[in-house]
Amino acid sequence: MDRRTFLQLATAPALLGSDELPSYKVVSRYTPANGPHMPGPYRGVVTRVHSENVVDTAADRVDQPTVDRMLSAGMGTLTGAKNDKDAWGAFFSASDVVGVKVNCSGAPAIRASPEIVGGIVRNLLAVGVKADNIYIYERFLDQLTSVHYERVVPQGVNIVAIETPRGSLMGYDPKTYVEVSFFGEDDTRSNLARLVTERFTKIVNVPNAKEHQASGVTGCLKNLAYGDFSNVARSHMRSKTNTFSFIGTLAAVEPLRSKCVLHIMDGIRAIWHGGPFSEDKRYRFYPRLMMFGTDPVAIDRLLLDLIEDKRKAEGAPSLWDRSPDKIDPRAHRDFHKNTFIREPGHIEYAATKFGLGEYDKNRIKVESLEV
Amino acid sequence: MLAAALLLHLLTGGAEAPADAVKLNEPGVQYRPNEASATSSPWIDANGWQILRAPGRKFAYRVKGETAGLAAAEAFTYGADAFLSADASGEAAFGRMLEFLKTVPAADLAPVADFGVVDDGSDEAGELLNLLTRMNLLYRIEKKPDRSFHLNVRLGTKEYPREEAQDPSATAHKIRSQIGDDKRSLRVYGSEVVIARLVGGPRQARVFLLNYAGRPVLGLRVRVRGAYSKGELRESGVADAHLQDWTPAGQTEGGPLVEFTVPELRAFAVIDLSRN
Repeated sequence: MDRRTFLQLATAPALLGSDELPSYKVVSRYTPANGPHMPGPYRGVVTRVHSENVVDTAADRVDQPTVDRMLSAGMGTLTGAKNDKDAWGAFFSASDVVGVKVNCSGAPAIRASPEIVGGIVRNLLAVGVKADNIYIYERFLDQLTSVHYERVVPQGVNIVAIETPRGSLMGYDPKTYVEVSFFGEDDTRSNLARLVTERFTKIVNVPNAKEHQASGVTGCLKNLAYGDFSNVARSHMRSKTNTFSFIGTLAAVEPLRSKCVLHIMDGIRAIWHGGPFSEDKRYRFYPRLMMFGTDPVAIDRLLLDLIEDKRKAEGAPSLWDRSPDKIDPRAHRDFHKNTFIREPGHIEYAATKFGLGEYDKNRIKVESLEV
Repeated sequence: MLAAALLLHLLTGGAEAPADAVKLNEPGVQYRPNEASATSSPWIDANGWQILRAPGRKFAYRVKGETAGLAAAEAFTYGADAFLSADASGEAAFGRMLEFLKTVPAADLAPVADFGVVDDGSDEAGELLNLLTRMNLLYRIEKKPDRSFHLNVRLGTKEYPREEAQDPSATAHKIRSQIGDDKRSLRVYGSEVVIARLVGGPRQARVFLLNYAGRPVLGLRVRVRGAYSKGELRESGVADAHLQDWTPAGQTEGGPLVEFTVPELRAFAVIDLSRN
């Protein structure tokens, strides 16, 4: 990858009825990889694998053999490969250093399932990636360690948090950042993790299927954006959130965009209100599915429908409802309310502004499998 | 190398500060997560603005524990003639900071400012100075507007009406916006609880960093305007401290910039920047 200094000034236009958008300055010395970067080789393609048997909901226990079959079916169908080794080999080789970006913000109730993460690691090892070149990572150590991924992966696999302790910038690259002022905050920079800029050659993104009080849903794009950069919570204040434009801006920063080659959404469990956390089990449900692709926008577009349909079934307001009378800081107690005005339009913005994928459902090819 | 002049006095044996000394707050941070406020930022009790506002006066601190070290560092940063009374652990903390301050070389450098503030002595002006310091906006207090600055702030004028000054935070943000973050001589990233001061000369500059949090700040990033090629970090309580990720940020509209990281900022650090 060419490491010449790369400075991009991105002043975003107003879009989709949002307020005037902030002015972003993206500073990165990395340019796009020669190969296809997000949305990757399968733009507008999502493989959706469902299994009724993947989870025992009474015990909240995930069935490992079923997860393994779902992984195999999903990767095989996405790539057209005849076996797992060829399917995973389409993305990874023995020389790679691979980051597995998990999501643990809703732990312990909802997180990138250890059964899926363990399966991903086994497939990476099978194509020759060395155990010590595999990193399961998340921003915060307390969330990450609460899941105990060490129980499902061989010794040597790294399980690391970017920001240890919380507030430390030492795990972030001081020369790769997005600068923007949302509310006149002192610190206007969000820096990309050093692991991404300096260590990984590839990333597998493993988000959960969750409603999010600020961004509407939190899927592939948000797990990458808010999970790899520092100082992102500043984008919300009172009922206003800047997730609409911030998520896509962050996800498009190089080298994150080039290194993230695969998304596997964990939709075995899901959250339809109060996300990204899961303090109230009333808002949990079990779609029993996984989604595979290289296009984060296409997967997130399907996630929008998944969460919106569930909310409709539960009698909750639409994710798109911007009524001020729905705003309440204690909204996690009442699904008719919300803490912020949600910004589910961040997915379309990421598609139209940065070309991160296909948003138009008529142009998304969904291959649905039952295991 | 000559150490910097120290005007710090520890009061022992029941000694009192001079009666006319300006009483200062115990420096530190108050976290108020459950209190409604205009900002989610922690409240910093800092005294730099009071010291700058009263040149030639004497100042008095009454402090406890490790805060005595921070108070000594604060007084040193702003060149205050300060009297400290402290408890036993505070006296020890003061002693440790004093030993560190003695290692800081003397330097004849002038405070760097990006704008001027005409101080009318009012409470509103005082609160504005407090917030400007807290936001690391570098000002010079003046008796009348200095034309060498692009911006001179005087409360009660058409540009800065008294009514507007009732919200000092809004006025401070307005000033920040008028200066422009890109043009500021000094910026700090990675903490809301560090206050910086910059002094400089033709070939040299010095950055003072005061951490009011009572716990280390890790990975503090500092940006300074100027074509500096070298930086030397001295830090209280940290032997063999070094700057990291030195970046000549190149030429910008406002002139050249450099950036560097302080890996672990405890209570106080001094960074000397120089040109080849």
